[in-house]
Amino acid sequence: MTDDAHRFTRMYDESRQRVWAYVVSRAGRQVADEVVSETFAIAWRRLDDVPEPALPWLLGVARNVLRDNVRAEVRRDALTAELRAWTEGDVADEVAERLGVLRALTVLPEDDREILVLVAWHGLSPKEGAQVVGCSSAAFRVRLHRARKRLERAMEAAEPVTSPIPHVRNLSEEWS
Amino acid sequence: MNPIDELRAARPAHLGERPVNERTRAAELAYAMSMPRQRRRRWLRAARPVWGLGLAGAVAAATAFAVVLSGTGTPPDGSPAVAIPETPHVTLSARDVLLAAAGRAERQAEGSGGYWHTVSVQRNLFVAKEGGYLVVDEGRSEGWTPRATGGDQWARSRRLGARPATEADRRAWERAGSPSEIEIAVPGKRGTTALPVSGGPATTSHTPLVDGDKVFWLGRNVTMKELRALPHDPGALRTWLMDAYEGHGTESAEEEMPGDVWLFKVAVGLIMDMPVTPEVRGAAFRMLAGLDGVRVTQDVTDAEGRRGTAVSVEERTRVAGVLENRLVFDERTGRALANEYVVVRPAETLPQVEPGALWSSTALIGASWTDDRPTG
Repeated sequence: MTDDAHRFTRMYDESRQRVWAYVVSRAGRQVADEVVSETFAIAWRRLDDVPEPALPWLLGVARNVLRDNVRAEVRRDALTAELRAWTEGDVADEVAERLGVLRALTVLPEDDREILVLVAWHGLSPKEGAQVVGCSSAAFRVRLHRARKRLERAMEAAEPVTSPIPHVRNLSEEWS
Repeated sequence: MNPIDELRAARPAHLGERPVNERTRAAELAYAMSMPRQRRRRWLRAARPVWGLGLAGAVAAATAFAVVLSGTGTPPDGSPAVAIPETPHVTLSARDVLLAAAGRAERQAEGSGGYWHTVSVQRNLFVAKEGGYLVVDEGRSEGWTPRATGGDQWARSRRLGARPATEADRRAWERAGSPSEIEIAVPGKRGTTALPVSGGPATTSHTPLVDGDKVFWLGRNVTMKELRALPHDPGALRTWLMDAYEGHGTESAEEEMPGDVWLFKVAVGLIMDMPVTPEVRGAAFRMLAGLDGVRVTQDVTDAEGRRGTAVSVEERTRVAGVLENRLVFDERTGRALANEYVVVRPAETLPQVEPGALWSSTALIGASWTDDRPTG
Protein backbone atom coordinates (compact mmCIF):
# COMPACT_ATOMS: atom_id res chain seq x y z
CA MET A 1 0.00 0.00 0.00
CA THR A 2 1.24 3.50 -0.73
CA ASP A 3 1.81 6.13 1.96
CA ASP A 4 -1.28 7.97 0.79
CA ALA A 5 -3.43 4.86 0.98
CA HIS A 6 -2.07 4.18 4.49
CA ARG A 7 -2.78 7.68 5.65
CA PHE A 8 -6.24 7.63 4.15
CA THR A 9 -7.13 4.25 5.67
CA ARG A 10 -5.94 5.41 9.08
CA MET A 11 -7.98 8.59 8.79
CA TYR A 12 -11.00 6.57 7.72
CA ASP A 13 -10.69 4.18 10.66
CA GLU A 14 -10.31 7.03 13.12
CA SER A 15 -13.15 9.17 11.85
CA ARG A 16 -15.66 7.14 9.89
CA GLN A 17 -18.09 6.43 12.70
CA ARG A 18 -17.91 9.99 13.98
CA VAL A 19 -18.73 11.36 10.55
CA TRP A 20 -21.56 8.85 10.32
CA ALA A 21 -22.91 9.91 13.73
CA TYR A 22 -22.79 13.54 12.66
CA VAL A 23 -24.74 12.86 9.47
CA VAL A 24 -27.30 10.78 11.38
CA SER A 25 -27.80 13.62 13.84
CA ARG A 26 -28.40 16.00 10.93
CA ALA A 27 -30.47 13.89 8.55
CA GLY A 28 -31.10 10.43 9.92
CA ARG A 29 -29.77 7.01 9.12
CA GLN A 30 -31.33 6.52 5.71
CA VAL A 31 -29.01 8.83 3.85
CA ALA A 32 -26.05 8.50 6.23
CA ASP A 33 -24.07 5.76 4.52
CA GLU A 34 -24.31 7.44 1.17
CA VAL A 35 -23.26 10.82 2.52
CA VAL A 36 -20.39 9.26 4.47
CA SER A 37 -19.23 7.39 1.38
CA GLU A 38 -19.25 10.56 -0.70
CA THR A 39 -17.48 12.49 2.06
CA PHE A 40 -14.58 10.05 2.16
CA ALA A 41 -14.42 9.95 -1.63
CA ILE A 42 -13.91 13.72 -1.54
CA ALA A 43 -11.35 13.30 1.25
CA TRP A 44 -9.38 10.88 -0.91
CA ARG A 45 -9.46 13.14 -3.95
CA ARG A 46 -8.31 16.05 -1.86
CA LEU A 47 -5.99 14.16 0.46
CA ASP A 48 -3.27 16.73 -0.13
CA ASP A 49 -5.51 19.38 1.41
CA VAL A 50 -6.80 17.44 4.40
CA PRO A 51 -5.45 18.92 7.64
CA GLU A 52 -4.55 17.08 10.84
CA PRO A 53 -6.64 16.49 12.85
CA ALA A 54 -9.02 15.68 10.03
CA LEU A 55 -12.33 15.40 11.86
CA PRO A 56 -13.54 19.03 11.74
CA TRP A 57 -12.61 19.20 8.05
CA LEU A 58 -14.41 15.93 7.35
CA LEU A 59 -17.55 17.09 9.17
CA GLY A 60 -17.45 20.30 7.14
CA VAL A 61 -17.29 18.26 3.92
CA ALA A 62 -20.14 16.01 5.09
CA ARG A 63 -22.16 19.11 5.88
CA ASN A 64 -21.68 20.39 2.31
CA VAL A 65 -22.49 16.99 0.81
CA LEU A 66 -25.71 16.95 2.82
CA ARG A 67 -26.63 20.45 1.81
CA ASP A 68 -25.91 19.86 -1.87
CA ASN A 69 -27.48 16.45 -2.22
CA VAL A 70 -30.28 16.08 0.29
CA ARG A 71 -33.07 18.64 0.22
CA ALA A 72 -33.97 20.35 3.49
CA GLU A 73 -37.40 18.75 3.69
CA VAL A 74 -35.92 15.31 3.05
CA ARG A 75 -33.39 15.92 5.83
CA ARG A 76 -36.23 16.93 8.15
CA ASP A 77 -38.37 13.90 7.33
CA ALA A 78 -35.41 11.59 7.73
CA LEU A 79 -34.58 13.09 11.10
CA THR A 80 -38.19 12.69 12.21
CA ALA A 81 -38.00 9.00 11.40
CA GLU A 82 -34.69 8.86 13.21
CA LEU A 83 -36.16 10.46 16.31
CA ARG A 84 -38.82 7.83 16.42
CA ALA A 85 -36.11 5.18 16.40
CA TRP A 86 -34.16 6.96 19.14
CA THR A 87 -37.09 6.88 21.50
CA GLU A 88 -38.18 3.32 20.92
CA GLY A 89 -36.90 0.42 22.93
CA ASP A 90 -35.61 2.55 25.77
CA VAL A 91 -36.17 1.81 29.44
CA ALA A 92 -39.37 3.61 30.38
CA ASP A 93 -37.92 5.71 33.21
CA GLU A 94 -35.27 7.24 31.07
CA VAL A 95 -37.58 7.91 28.19
CA ALA A 96 -39.39 10.89 29.61
CA GLU A 97 -36.27 12.76 30.60
CA ARG A 98 -34.41 12.05 27.40
CA LEU A 99 -37.42 12.84 25.31
CA GLY A 100 -37.77 16.16 27.03
CA VAL A 101 -34.31 17.20 25.90
CA LEU A 102 -34.68 15.68 22.48
CA ARG A 103 -38.01 17.30 21.93
CA ALA A 104 -36.60 20.64 22.98
CA LEU A 105 -33.74 20.04 20.58
CA THR A 106 -36.06 19.33 17.70
CA VAL A 107 -38.14 22.46 18.05
CA LEU A 108 -35.04 24.63 17.76
CA PRO A 109 -33.98 26.13 14.44
CA GLU A 110 -31.66 23.85 12.47
CA ASP A 111 -28.67 26.16 13.02
CA ASP A 112 -29.06 26.00 16.79
CA ARG A 113 -29.52 22.26 16.75
CA GLU A 114 -26.43 21.76 14.67
CA ILE A 115 -24.20 23.77 16.98
CA LEU A 116 -25.51 22.14 20.14
CA VAL A 117 -25.10 18.67 18.72
CA LEU A 118 -21.55 19.34 17.50
CA VAL A 119 -20.54 20.30 21.01
CA ALA A 120 -22.64 17.95 23.14
CA TRP A 121 -22.65 14.80 21.04
CA HIS A 122 -19.56 15.03 18.92
CA GLY A 123 -17.37 16.59 21.59
CA LEU A 124 -16.02 19.40 19.40
CA SER A 125 -14.40 22.49 20.89
CA PRO A 126 -15.77 25.86 19.74
CA LYS A 127 -12.67 26.20 17.57
CA GLU A 128 -13.31 22.86 15.86
CA GLY A 129 -17.03 23.53 15.60
CA ALA A 130 -16.27 26.86 13.96
CA GLN A 131 -14.24 25.00 11.32
CA VAL A 132 -17.19 22.73 10.56
CA VAL A 133 -19.80 25.44 10.11
CA GLY A 134 -17.39 27.91 8.56
CA CYS A 135 -17.35 30.83 10.99
CA SER A 136 -14.89 32.31 13.48
CA SER A 137 -14.39 30.75 16.92
CA ALA A 138 -15.76 33.91 18.49
CA ALA A 139 -18.90 33.81 16.37
CA PHE A 140 -19.31 30.14 17.18
CA ARG A 141 -19.15 30.86 20.93
CA VAL A 142 -21.81 33.54 20.60
CA ARG A 143 -24.05 31.24 18.58
CA LEU A 144 -23.50 28.40 21.03
CA HIS A 145 -24.43 30.67 23.93
CA ARG A 146 -27.65 31.76 22.24
CA ALA A 147 -28.52 28.23 21.15
CA ARG A 148 -28.01 27.02 24.71
CA LYS A 149 -30.38 29.69 26.03
CA ARG A 150 -33.00 28.72 23.49
CA LEU A 151 -32.56 25.05 24.35
CA GLU A 152 -33.06 25.87 28.01
CA ARG A 153 -36.24 27.79 27.29
CA ALA A 154 -37.54 25.02 25.07
CA MET A 155 -36.88 22.47 27.79
CA GLU A 156 -38.77 24.56 30.33
CA ALA A 157 -41.67 24.96 27.98
CA ALA A 158 -41.88 21.28 27.21
CA GLU A 159 -44.64 19.42 28.95
CA PRO A 160 -43.92 16.25 30.87
CA VAL A 161 -43.83 13.38 28.50
CA THR A 162 -45.57 10.12 29.17
CA SER A 163 -45.62 8.35 25.88
CA PRO A 164 -42.86 8.69 23.33
CA ILE A 165 -44.70 7.65 20.19
CA PRO A 166 -47.48 10.23 20.01
CA HIS A 167 -45.01 12.79 21.07
CA VAL A 168 -42.82 12.17 18.10
CA ARG A 169 -45.86 12.25 15.85
CA ASN A 170 -46.55 15.68 17.20
CA LEU A 171 -43.05 16.66 16.35
CA SER A 172 -43.37 15.52 12.82
CA GLU A 173 -46.55 17.55 12.48
CA GLU A 174 -44.83 20.60 13.82
CA TRP A 175 -42.13 20.17 11.25
CA SER A 176 -44.25 19.59 8.22
CA MET B 1 -27.98 20.35 35.27
CA ASN B 2 -26.38 22.37 32.50
CA PRO B 3 -28.53 21.98 29.35
CA ILE B 4 -25.48 20.93 27.38
CA ASP B 5 -24.78 18.15 29.88
CA GLU B 6 -28.40 17.06 29.75
CA LEU B 7 -28.22 16.99 26.00
CA ARG B 8 -24.99 15.00 26.17
CA ALA B 9 -26.66 12.46 28.43
CA ALA B 10 -29.55 12.13 25.99
CA ARG B 11 -27.32 11.17 23.10
CA PRO B 12 -28.73 8.06 21.42
CA ALA B 13 -26.53 5.07 22.15
CA HIS B 14 -25.90 4.16 18.53
CA LEU B 15 -24.28 7.52 17.89
CA GLY B 16 -21.44 6.48 20.18
CA GLU B 17 -18.23 4.83 19.10
CA ARG B 18 -18.85 1.53 17.43
CA PRO B 19 -16.73 -0.40 14.98
CA VAL B 20 -17.82 -0.03 11.40
CA ASN B 21 -19.17 -3.10 9.64
CA GLU B 22 -16.26 -4.74 7.80
CA ARG B 23 -18.16 -5.08 4.55
CA THR B 24 -19.16 -1.42 4.63
CA ARG B 25 -15.59 -0.46 5.45
CA ALA B 26 -14.16 -2.40 2.50
CA ALA B 27 -16.75 -1.00 0.10
CA GLU B 28 -16.31 2.60 1.22
CA LEU B 29 -12.52 2.49 1.14
CA ALA B 30 -12.58 0.93 -2.33
CA TYR B 31 -15.10 3.48 -3.59
CA ALA B 32 -13.15 6.44 -2.23
CA MET B 33 -9.81 5.25 -3.54
CA SER B 34 -11.25 4.61 -6.99
CA MET B 35 -11.64 8.38 -7.33
CA PRO B 36 -8.94 10.26 -9.20
CA ARG B 37 -6.69 12.23 -6.90
CA GLN B 38 -6.74 15.98 -7.22
CA ARG B 39 -3.12 16.93 -6.79
CA ARG B 40 -2.69 20.25 -5.15
CA ARG B 41 0.50 20.83 -7.10
CA ARG B 42 -1.37 20.55 -10.35
CA TRP B 43 -3.57 23.46 -9.45
CA LEU B 44 -3.22 24.87 -12.93
CA ARG B 45 -5.44 22.05 -14.10
CA ALA B 46 -7.77 22.27 -11.15
CA ALA B 47 -10.51 23.40 -13.52
CA ARG B 48 -10.63 19.82 -14.76
CA PRO B 49 -13.47 17.94 -13.08
CA VAL B 50 -12.08 15.76 -10.36
CA TRP B 51 -14.09 12.70 -11.32
CA GLY B 52 -12.24 12.17 -14.53
CA LEU B 53 -10.79 13.73 -17.56
CA GLY B 54 -13.21 16.14 -19.03
CA LEU B 55 -13.79 16.80 -22.83
CA ALA B 56 -14.76 18.91 -25.80
CA GLY B 57 -16.45 18.55 -29.18
CA ALA B 58 -15.64 16.15 -31.95
CA VAL B 59 -12.10 16.08 -33.22
CA ALA B 60 -12.16 18.01 -36.42
CA ALA B 61 -8.79 17.06 -37.77
CA ALA B 62 -8.32 14.09 -39.99
CA THR B 63 -5.15 12.22 -39.21
CA ALA B 64 -2.88 12.47 -42.18
CA PHE B 65 -0.17 10.26 -40.84
CA ALA B 66 0.17 7.99 -37.88
CA VAL B 67 3.01 5.74 -36.87
CA VAL B 68 3.43 3.53 -33.90
CA LEU B 69 6.77 3.39 -32.18
CA SER B 70 6.81 -0.23 -31.23
CA GLY B 71 9.35 -1.28 -28.68
CA THR B 72 11.26 -4.49 -28.13
CA GLY B 73 8.81 -7.13 -29.25
CA THR B 74 8.72 -10.43 -31.01
CA PRO B 75 9.92 -9.87 -34.54
CA PRO B 76 7.39 -10.54 -37.31
CA ASP B 77 8.98 -13.83 -38.34
CA GLY B 78 8.51 -15.26 -34.89
CA SER B 79 12.20 -15.81 -34.16
CA PRO B 80 13.09 -15.72 -30.43
CA ALA B 81 12.81 -12.30 -28.84
CA VAL B 82 16.21 -12.75 -27.19
CA ALA B 83 17.78 -12.23 -30.59
CA ILE B 84 16.57 -8.65 -30.48
CA PRO B 85 18.89 -6.33 -28.61
CA GLU B 86 17.80 -3.35 -26.49
CA THR B 87 17.53 -1.08 -29.52
CA PRO B 88 13.82 -0.56 -30.07
CA HIS B 89 12.30 -1.40 -33.42
CA VAL B 90 11.23 2.06 -34.41
CA THR B 91 9.59 3.60 -37.42
CA LEU B 92 12.14 6.25 -38.08
CA SER B 93 9.86 9.00 -39.26
CA ALA B 94 7.91 9.07 -35.99
CA ARG B 95 11.05 8.93 -33.90
CA ASP B 96 12.60 11.59 -36.09
CA VAL B 97 9.65 13.89 -35.55
CA LEU B 98 10.20 13.75 -31.79
CA LEU B 99 13.97 14.13 -32.06
CA ALA B 100 13.52 17.13 -34.33
CA ALA B 101 11.07 18.64 -31.84
CA ALA B 102 13.68 18.05 -29.12
CA GLY B 103 16.25 20.01 -31.11
CA ARG B 104 13.82 22.88 -31.68
CA ALA B 105 12.70 22.94 -28.04
CA GLU B 106 16.31 23.16 -26.87
CA ARG B 107 16.88 26.30 -28.92
CA GLN B 108 13.91 28.22 -27.54
CA ALA B 109 14.77 31.39 -25.62
CA GLU B 110 13.92 31.31 -21.94
CA GLY B 111 13.08 34.88 -20.96
CA SER B 112 13.30 36.09 -17.40
CA GLY B 113 11.18 37.32 -14.52
CA GLY B 114 10.17 36.60 -10.96
CA TYR B 115 7.05 34.58 -11.88
CA TRP B 116 6.30 31.72 -14.22
CA HIS B 117 3.02 32.73 -15.84
CA THR B 118 0.77 30.30 -17.69
CA VAL B 119 -2.58 30.77 -19.40
CA SER B 120 -4.74 27.87 -20.51
CA VAL B 121 -8.26 27.09 -21.64
CA GLN B 122 -9.90 23.89 -20.39
CA ARG B 123 -12.71 22.10 -22.17
CA ASN B 124 -14.58 19.12 -20.81
CA LEU B 125 -17.30 17.00 -22.38
CA PHE B 126 -20.44 16.09 -20.49
CA VAL B 127 -23.73 14.37 -21.23
CA ALA B 128 -26.90 16.39 -20.54
CA LYS B 129 -29.20 14.65 -18.12
CA GLU B 130 -32.32 15.63 -20.07
CA GLY B 131 -32.02 14.79 -23.75
CA GLY B 132 -28.67 13.03 -23.61
CA TYR B 133 -26.93 15.54 -25.88
CA LEU B 134 -23.25 16.42 -25.44
CA VAL B 135 -22.13 19.61 -23.75
CA VAL B 136 -18.70 21.25 -23.73
CA ASP B 137 -17.89 23.23 -20.61
CA GLU B 138 -15.13 25.81 -20.95
CA GLY B 139 -12.95 27.59 -18.46
CA ARG B 140 -9.85 29.73 -18.58
CA SER B 141 -7.17 29.70 -15.94
CA GLU B 142 -3.97 31.54 -15.29
CA GLY B 143 -1.21 30.78 -12.82
CA TRP B 144 1.74 32.70 -11.46
CA THR B 145 4.40 30.64 -9.70
CA PRO B 146 7.21 32.50 -7.92
CA ARG B 147 10.79 31.75 -8.86
CA ALA B 148 11.90 32.43 -5.29
CA THR B 149 10.68 30.58 -2.24
CA GLY B 150 8.66 32.37 0.40
CA GLY B 151 6.20 33.94 -2.03
CA ASP B 152 2.67 32.91 -2.91
CA GLN B 153 1.40 31.05 -5.92
CA TRP B 154 -1.35 33.07 -7.64
CA ALA B 155 -4.23 31.81 -9.71
CA ARG B 156 -7.01 33.41 -11.69
CA SER B 157 -9.84 31.47 -13.22
CA ARG B 158 -12.99 32.25 -15.11
CA ARG B 159 -15.84 30.09 -16.31
CA LEU B 160 -16.43 30.67 -20.00
CA GLY B 161 -19.69 28.75 -20.01
CA ALA B 162 -21.18 25.55 -21.39
CA ARG B 163 -22.40 24.99 -24.95
CA PRO B 164 -23.78 22.09 -26.99
CA ALA B 165 -20.87 20.18 -28.55
CA THR B 166 -22.08 19.95 -32.16
CA GLU B 167 -24.87 21.33 -34.39
CA ALA B 168 -26.93 18.19 -33.69
CA ASP B 169 -26.37 18.70 -29.97
CA ARG B 170 -27.45 22.33 -30.34
CA ARG B 171 -30.72 21.22 -31.90
CA ALA B 172 -31.24 18.76 -29.05
CA TRP B 173 -30.53 21.56 -26.57
CA GLU B 174 -33.10 23.78 -28.31
CA ARG B 175 -35.64 20.96 -28.24
CA ALA B 176 -35.02 20.78 -24.51
CA GLY B 177 -36.10 24.44 -24.29
CA SER B 178 -32.62 26.02 -24.58
CA PRO B 179 -32.01 25.86 -20.83
CA SER B 180 -29.64 28.52 -19.51
CA GLU B 181 -28.31 25.95 -17.08
CA ILE B 182 -27.69 22.47 -18.43
CA GLU B 183 -28.04 19.67 -15.93
CA ILE B 184 -25.45 16.97 -16.36
CA ALA B 185 -25.09 13.57 -14.79
CA VAL B 186 -21.81 13.01 -13.04
CA PRO B 187 -20.66 9.41 -12.72
CA GLY B 188 -20.47 8.20 -9.14
CA LYS B 189 -21.95 11.36 -7.71
CA ARG B 190 -25.35 11.77 -6.15
CA GLY B 191 -27.65 14.29 -7.70
CA THR B 192 -26.80 16.52 -10.60
CA THR B 193 -24.63 19.47 -11.39
CA ALA B 194 -25.89 22.34 -13.53
CA LEU B 195 -23.56 24.05 -15.98
CA PRO B 196 -24.52 27.66 -16.77
CA VAL B 197 -24.46 28.50 -20.47
CA SER B 198 -23.12 31.95 -19.69
CA GLY B 199 -19.66 32.65 -18.36
CA GLY B 200 -18.76 33.99 -14.95
CA PRO B 201 -16.51 36.63 -13.45
CA ALA B 202 -12.79 36.00 -12.97
CA THR B 203 -11.73 35.04 -9.48
CA THR B 204 -8.21 35.54 -8.21
CA SER B 205 -6.65 33.65 -5.34
CA HIS B 206 -3.24 33.07 -3.88
CA THR B 207 -1.83 30.42 -1.61
CA PRO B 208 1.53 29.90 0.09
CA LEU B 209 3.77 27.28 -1.47
CA VAL B 210 3.29 23.78 -0.10
CA ASP B 211 5.95 23.08 2.53
CA GLY B 212 7.13 26.60 1.79
CA ASP B 213 8.91 25.62 -1.44
CA LYS B 214 7.04 23.03 -3.55
CA VAL B 215 5.72 24.46 -6.79
CA PHE B 216 4.59 21.68 -9.12
CA TRP B 217 3.70 18.04 -9.20
CA LEU B 218 6.04 15.95 -11.31
CA GLY B 219 5.31 12.43 -10.11
CA ARG B 220 6.03 13.98 -6.70
CA ASN B 221 5.96 17.51 -5.34
CA VAL B 222 9.00 19.40 -6.55
CA THR B 223 10.64 22.73 -5.74
CA MET B 224 11.57 25.35 -8.33
CA LYS B 225 15.21 24.52 -7.62
CA GLU B 226 14.63 20.84 -8.40
CA LEU B 227 12.73 21.70 -11.58
CA ARG B 228 15.53 23.94 -12.75
CA ALA B 229 18.15 21.28 -12.01
CA LEU B 230 16.56 18.30 -13.79
CA PRO B 231 18.99 16.17 -15.85
CA HIS B 232 19.58 17.15 -19.50
CA ASP B 233 20.21 13.55 -20.47
CA PRO B 234 17.05 11.64 -21.53
CA GLY B 235 18.14 8.46 -19.74
CA ALA B 236 18.98 10.29 -16.53
CA LEU B 237 15.73 12.27 -16.74
CA ARG B 238 13.78 9.04 -17.14
CA THR B 239 15.49 7.54 -14.08
CA TRP B 240 14.82 10.68 -12.05
CA LEU B 241 11.13 10.72 -12.96
CA MET B 242 10.62 6.95 -12.58
CA ASP B 243 11.86 7.15 -8.99
CA ALA B 244 8.38 8.30 -8.02
CA TYR B 245 6.52 5.57 -9.95
CA GLU B 246 4.69 3.07 -7.77
CA GLY B 247 2.86 0.96 -10.30
CA HIS B 248 -0.38 2.89 -10.28
CA GLY B 249 -1.91 5.90 -11.96
CA THR B 250 -1.11 9.53 -11.29
CA GLU B 251 -4.61 10.15 -9.96
CA SER B 252 -5.54 6.97 -8.15
CA ALA B 253 -3.71 4.24 -6.24
CA GLU B 254 -6.44 1.80 -7.27
CA GLU B 255 -5.88 2.10 -10.97
CA GLU B 256 -2.85 0.23 -12.23
CA MET B 257 -0.82 2.03 -14.85
CA PRO B 258 2.10 0.68 -16.89
CA GLY B 259 5.39 2.51 -16.34
CA ASP B 260 5.55 3.97 -19.82
CA VAL B 261 2.01 5.34 -19.69
CA TRP B 262 2.81 6.88 -16.31
CA LEU B 263 6.08 8.32 -17.54
CA PHE B 264 4.34 9.74 -20.61
CA LYS B 265 1.74 11.49 -18.44
CA VAL B 266 4.34 13.00 -16.15
CA ALA B 267 6.58 14.05 -19.06
CA VAL B 268 3.65 15.72 -20.84
CA GLY B 269 3.04 17.86 -17.73
CA LEU B 270 6.69 18.85 -17.78
CA ILE B 271 6.72 19.73 -21.48
CA MET B 272 3.37 21.51 -21.37
CA ASP B 273 3.75 24.25 -18.87
CA MET B 274 6.48 23.77 -16.31
CA PRO B 275 9.34 26.24 -15.96
CA VAL B 276 12.11 23.80 -16.92
CA THR B 277 15.14 24.85 -18.97
CA PRO B 278 14.97 24.44 -22.79
CA GLU B 279 17.54 21.62 -22.49
CA VAL B 280 15.28 19.66 -20.15
CA ARG B 281 12.28 20.15 -22.42
CA GLY B 282 14.43 18.79 -25.24
CA ALA B 283 15.49 15.83 -23.10
CA ALA B 284 11.82 15.10 -22.35
CA PHE B 285 11.03 14.92 -26.10
CA ARG B 286 14.03 12.58 -26.59
CA MET B 287 12.78 10.44 -23.73
CA LEU B 288 9.32 10.19 -25.37
CA ALA B 289 11.02 9.05 -28.58
CA GLY B 290 12.38 6.08 -26.64
CA LEU B 291 9.09 4.95 -25.09
CA ASP B 292 7.21 1.83 -26.17
CA GLY B 293 3.79 2.23 -27.76
CA VAL B 294 4.06 5.95 -28.26
CA ARG B 295 2.27 7.16 -31.38
CA VAL B 296 2.96 10.23 -33.46
CA THR B 297 0.21 11.78 -35.57
CA GLN B 298 0.88 14.76 -37.78
CA ASP B 299 -1.57 17.37 -38.95
CA VAL B 300 -4.00 17.38 -36.04
CA THR B 301 -6.03 20.35 -34.79
CA ASP B 302 -6.32 21.19 -31.13
CA ALA B 303 -9.47 22.48 -29.42
CA GLU B 304 -8.37 26.05 -30.14
CA GLY B 305 -8.25 25.23 -33.86
CA ARG B 306 -4.45 25.30 -34.07
CA ARG B 307 -2.60 22.84 -36.32
CA GLY B 308 0.10 20.70 -34.80
CA THR B 309 1.57 17.26 -34.31
CA ALA B 310 0.43 14.88 -31.61
CA VAL B 311 2.44 12.39 -29.61
CA SER B 312 0.18 10.04 -27.70
CA VAL B 313 -0.40 6.87 -25.70
CA GLU B 314 -3.59 4.99 -24.90
CA GLU B 315 -4.92 5.10 -21.37
CA ARG B 316 -7.56 2.91 -19.81
CA THR B 317 -9.80 4.93 -17.47
CA ARG B 318 -12.59 3.85 -15.19
CA VAL B 319 -14.95 6.67 -16.00
CA ALA B 320 -14.55 7.25 -19.72
CA GLY B 321 -13.18 4.00 -21.15
CA VAL B 322 -10.08 3.87 -23.35
CA LEU B 323 -8.74 7.34 -24.16
CA GLU B 324 -5.84 8.58 -26.20
CA ASN B 325 -3.75 10.96 -24.12
CA ARG B 326 -2.08 13.27 -26.58
CA LEU B 327 0.31 16.16 -26.41
CA VAL B 328 -0.20 18.45 -29.39
CA PHE B 329 2.89 20.48 -30.20
CA ASP B 330 4.25 22.76 -32.86
CA GLU B 331 6.98 20.91 -34.77
CA ARG B 332 8.66 24.12 -35.85
CA THR B 333 9.27 25.32 -32.28
CA GLY B 334 8.98 22.24 -30.09
CA ARG B 335 6.42 24.16 -28.06
CA ALA B 336 3.34 22.53 -26.55
CA LEU B 337 -0.08 23.58 -27.80
CA ALA B 338 -2.44 21.33 -25.84
CA ASN B 339 -2.85 18.21 -23.77
CA GLU B 340 -5.99 16.41 -24.86
CA TYR B 341 -7.86 13.17 -24.29
CA VAL B 342 -9.59 11.68 -27.31
CA VAL B 343 -12.11 8.86 -26.92
CA VAL B 344 -10.92 5.58 -28.42
CA ARG B 345 -13.48 3.19 -26.91
CA PRO B 346 -16.08 4.90 -24.71
CA ALA B 347 -17.15 3.32 -21.43
CA GLU B 348 -20.44 1.39 -21.53
CA THR B 349 -21.98 4.08 -19.35
CA LEU B 350 -21.40 6.65 -22.09
CA PRO B 351 -23.40 5.40 -25.10
CA GLN B 352 -23.81 8.98 -26.38
CA VAL B 353 -20.07 9.50 -26.76
CA GLU B 354 -18.49 8.30 -29.98
CA PRO B 355 -14.91 7.26 -30.69
CA GLY B 356 -12.97 10.30 -31.84
CA ALA B 357 -14.78 12.70 -29.54
CA LEU B 358 -12.61 15.04 -27.54
CA TRP B 359 -13.16 14.07 -23.92
CA SER B 360 -11.06 16.84 -22.44
CA SER B 361 -8.59 19.44 -23.53
CA THR B 362 -6.21 21.83 -21.85
CA ALA B 363 -5.03 24.27 -24.49
CA LEU B 364 -1.97 26.26 -23.58
CA ILE B 365 -2.37 29.90 -24.55
CA GLY B 366 0.91 31.07 -23.10
CA ALA B 367 3.72 30.14 -20.71
CA SER B 368 6.53 32.56 -19.94
CA TRP B 369 8.48 34.34 -17.23
CA THR B 370 7.17 37.71 -16.11
CA ASP B 371 7.57 40.21 -13.30
CA ASP B 372 3.88 41.08 -13.23
CA ARG B 373 1.37 39.25 -11.13
CA PRO B 374 -2.16 40.05 -9.98
CA THR B 375 -2.54 42.23 -6.92
CA GLY B 376 -5.26 41.08 -4.56
